[in-house]
Amino acid sequence: MAPRENSNEPGGTPVPVETGMATLATLRIGVKAFVEKDGEKRKAEILSIATRNRNPKYYVHYEEFNKRLDEWVAADRIDLTREVEWPAPEKPEKKKAATNQKSAPSKSDQKNLKRSRSKLDKELSATPESTNLNLPGKASRPPRAGGKENKDILITSEVTDGSTPKPDDEEMDLVDVQDAAAAAKAAPSERYDRDVEIEKLRTSGSMTQNQTEISRVRNLEKIQMGKFEVEPWYFSPYPIDFVDSEMVYICEFCLNYYGEVTEFTRHRAKCTLLHPPGNEIYRDDYVSFFEIDGRRQRTWCRNLCLLSKLFLDHKTLYYDVDPFLFYCMCTRDEHGCHLVGYFSKEKESAEGYNVACILTLPQYQRKGFGKLLIDFSYLLSKRENKLGSPEKPLSDLGLLGYRAYWQEVIVDMLMDGRVEANIEDIGAAAGMTTNDVLHTLQNLNMLRYNKNQHVIVLTDAVIAQREKQKAKEKIKGRRTIDPDRLIWKPPVFSAASRTWNW
Amino acid sequence: MTARVTGQRFRQRKLSTKQMLPVLRENEVEKLPDDDASRHIPKVETGVEKQEEVEHHLQAVMSAAHAAASGGKVSQLYIPTPDAVASKLNYEDLYPKHFTQPATYIRFSSTVEDMIGCPYCMTSDDVAFLKSFNQKKSKSVQCSEDEFEEMLNFFEVQADLKQPFAAVDNPPVISYEEFEAEFDETVSDSARRFAKDIYNHWKNQRLMHGNRPMIPTLKFEKNLETDEADPYVCFRRREVRQVRKTRGRDAQVTEKIKKLRTDLESARFLMAEVKRREIVTRQQLAMDRQIFEQRTAVKEIKRKLGIKGDDEELLINQKPAPKPKPKVDVPGVSQRGVPGLGPKPNQLARPDGRLLDSDLHYLEEQKAKRAEAIESFVEENLHKHQKWNVGWHDATWRPITPPLEQPVAKPEFRPVFTSSQLPTPPASESSEAMEVDQTSKELEPRRSTRIRYGTPPEEVPLEAQPRFRRRTGRGGRVMIDRRGVKRARLDAIDERVADRYKYSGDSSEDEQIYPVDWTENLHIRYRIMIERQGEKQQAQAQAQNRRVIENHNRSASGHLLPPSAGG
Repeated sequence: MAPRENSNEPGGTPVPVETGMATLATLRIGVKAFVEKDGEKRKAEILSIATRNRNPKYYVHYEEFNKRLDEWVAADRIDLTREVEWPAPEKPEKKKAATNQKSAPSKSDQKNLKRSRSKLDKELSATPESTNLNLPGKASRPPRAGGKENKDILITSEVTDGSTPKPDDEEMDLVDVQDAAAAAKAAPSERYDRDVEIEKLRTSGSMTQNQTEISRVRNLEKIQMGKFEVEPWYFSPYPIDFVDSEMVYICEFCLNYYGEVTEFTRHRAKCTLLHPPGNEIYRDDYVSFFEIDGRRQRTWCRNLCLLSKLFLDHKTLYYDVDPFLFYCMCTRDEHGCHLVGYFSKEKESAEGYNVACILTLPQYQRKGFGKLLIDFSYLLSKRENKLGSPEKPLSDLGLLGYRAYWQEVIVDMLMDGRVEANIEDIGAAAGMTTNDVLHTLQNLNMLRYNKNQHVIVLTDAVIAQREKQKAKEKIKGRRTIDPDRLIWKPPVFSAASRTWNW
Repeated sequence: MTARVTGQRFRQRKLSTKQMLPVLRENEVEKLPDDDASRHIPKVETGVEKQEEVEHHLQAVMSAAHAAASGGKVSQLYIPTPDAVASKLNYEDLYPKHFTQPATYIRFSSTVEDMIGCPYCMTSDDVAFLKSFNQKKSKSVQCSEDEFEEMLNFFEVQADLKQPFAAVDNPPVISYEEFEAEFDETVSDSARRFAKDIYNHWKNQRLMHGNRPMIPTLKFEKNLETDEADPYVCFRRREVRQVRKTRGRDAQVTEKIKKLRTDLESARFLMAEVKRREIVTRQQLAMDRQIFEQRTAVKEIKRKLGIKGDDEELLINQKPAPKPKPKVDVPGVSQRGVPGLGPKPNQLARPDGRLLDSDLHYLEEQKAKRAEAIESFVEENLHKHQKWNVGWHDATWRPITPPLEQPVAKPEFRPVFTSSQLPTPPASESSEAMEVDQTSKELEPRRSTRIRYGTPPEEVPLEAQPRFRRRTGRGGRVMIDRRGVKRARLDAIDERVADRYKYSGDSSEDEQIYPVDWTENLHIRYRIMIERQGEKQQAQAQAQNRRVIENHNRSASGHLLPPSAGG
């Protein structure tokens, strides 16, 4: 997710890329080569290299593919008959940085902190303008006490300040991920100079050798949960001991994690939890919703966050779970309430977000649960008499899910026979922000200009799509959230709880 | 949100979100060849990160969706995701069918820690060790898995307490002796038997782990410099929102904390006292039992030896029995007749069952006595005054001391004599006291009798109050229990007697007899009225009742009584 691809760098000046032929021996981290993926060759960047039994494995990220498709590939999948791109060499500014080293390390530390904050600030304001990070006035203090869950502020390298990123190739020893991880854990010694790193961060934006880079490689091989084995999509800060485990076992009810099947079996013999540890606020024939307070159920919510981080790229576990409520959707049977998906929500959102993170567990995806989750989140907003919108950035799947939901809701509303409508009313009726309504209408090409005025057009395509969907629902059965079954009052938090970390 | 206006043929107006827009079908709109209208509407961000927006699969799906929205025929596309497959583990074994859904929504507040039992779970190494360990032992002393885990968990917890930075500064593994000193109630006796052997195993395991905790733990911030960048460090504490510091707030906070402390302390004291009391009670019971047993033994012996003599020893022994302990402290317990005693307690106890304790004075009694004294004093003086004035007629115009009113004998409630049952009172919870015109209009409205329910006035001794209780019996029958209602016998309502009372001056105010014919039309109407009134008044009554009671008391007690007597 760090802007490694030069071509995709917005505002980036194209830098001549050094290319050339490579052999297995000269492949190193940062090299971009063509790798076979599903029968075609794609350009991919090597993020990590591991050698087991003399067979090197390469962890690659395919350009223009989501990170969740990053994978370990054997050497034979790398096409060495074509030229590879070498990582851009470091600018000769190292000496300058080294002389700076003595001057004031603490100061530059502060700078670093400020910088990461200023970045956060930029994200908060959500303006597409490119912020010049060197502008000191921009480094205002963001509300750190406020809950931000969706931001990956861990990745400080993810800065787009107009200059091109130059992945450095200094000290490019081929670190095994596990070694690197272990190093990060056991020996936090300054193997590379911190000031240099910070200087790099200031001037370029990439920190290849930074420990943060570890998080670019998935750390868990596989998880076992309930009736399923699931392949994680992203890095999640589960205990570092698990990098060696072939499978991590996660208890379906308490979400505790175990690296060994024996431990897990023992745990299951003792665990008595049968549903998410909170109050059931919604129940119909199909699903139940539980409301969990992050502060009161810290362990469970942390477990949930660790789990969901495996499937959410933009989630950050930087801060604790206290300022969030978790709404967990479950299906029920005699075994208990099986967690299907959840969304988290700030207890008090300054930006008016009604969802922080939202996830249907992969084993339950493409079954319509996502729509129920979204629908439920809007039902809560309606109960609160508020307009809500999901926290940004959305993931690709999140965007598609929301778009589908918005389209259905708005089209349904417009098809009830009304002859005129305004955007704010539609938003109010659906609990959606005006912007989201606008976005949807625009995206569907439904806002047009006709006879000197704006009109909303129910296009034939949209209607056809809706009819088709309805026909499908008739066969498969339509799952909806019934507002009457929600027994819930918006929780109120006192000023004291706000002050004292919820 | 400004629409970009291109200098074309006409200026387009801005899109207003508040404005009503016509909803049209596609055939109702003129086809715009260039369809640049949408360009005049502000472009809304997708909300996806810029670098990800260009991703291949997302673009494919979005363009497919766009094509579908504009009428194209596209097959459904998905963004590919890594697999989820069925697990090989046997689900039924791991997750037994224990869940029964309650009829109401689940309410639950236990934490994970409450629900998972011993947090340590055996690894395969542990299982192997335990197996070989148990093989060496005889059948009678086998270490169970639970005991094993309990022990290991204890070692882990203690090690973490004693060496919180074991991972950083690499201290030696804690010795067994150190652990032994720390054994507490978390370690059961049965587990302790194996402590030494398990310790050795634990030590080995621990050394293999580099003396790090054996349960994998998350990495939390340790205020190291590397925390910030370490992706494994998670769930940092947030900075507490700064509150502006003022002296006033400081004082307020201090005050609050002080109060909290005293509150907690008093609660703790209370608990300690309760505990002490319960201990005393237990001792007392033990004592009672002992006495009883010994007494039975004495009886046995007497019977055996054929001693027939008076039960003098028994009596002597028995005498202190009912009295001794501070039974009065626990009125609920005191009723348990002392075992082994014959019928005697009756002599010592009052009819209401409480023990006679001559040296105990009740506050109520004392109060009542005092009130009585004052009352009688006033009464006496009244009588004296009247006696002085007997035969005299005060003809003064507006005397400074007005002639005394006739003394009101019982200023509180006048007993009600009824010849038949009273109307059903409404449920007591909805109306504490209800003002009801007892009888017809022939009586002066000022003197209307009241029926009271619920909280009785404190000044009237409990025994003297008429009390009613409504309860619902089987089949929905409504029953009225009453107590202390003076019921005039029928023959008592002699016409002449009634007549005599009627004109017997002021005293008639005190004891009135209301002959009632319940079948009378008037009365039936009255009862209906009460019913209706009851409904109407229920709402008002709540608010008014208190006032009504006060007013009533005042008017009945008159101004002669010193307020202290009124209670």
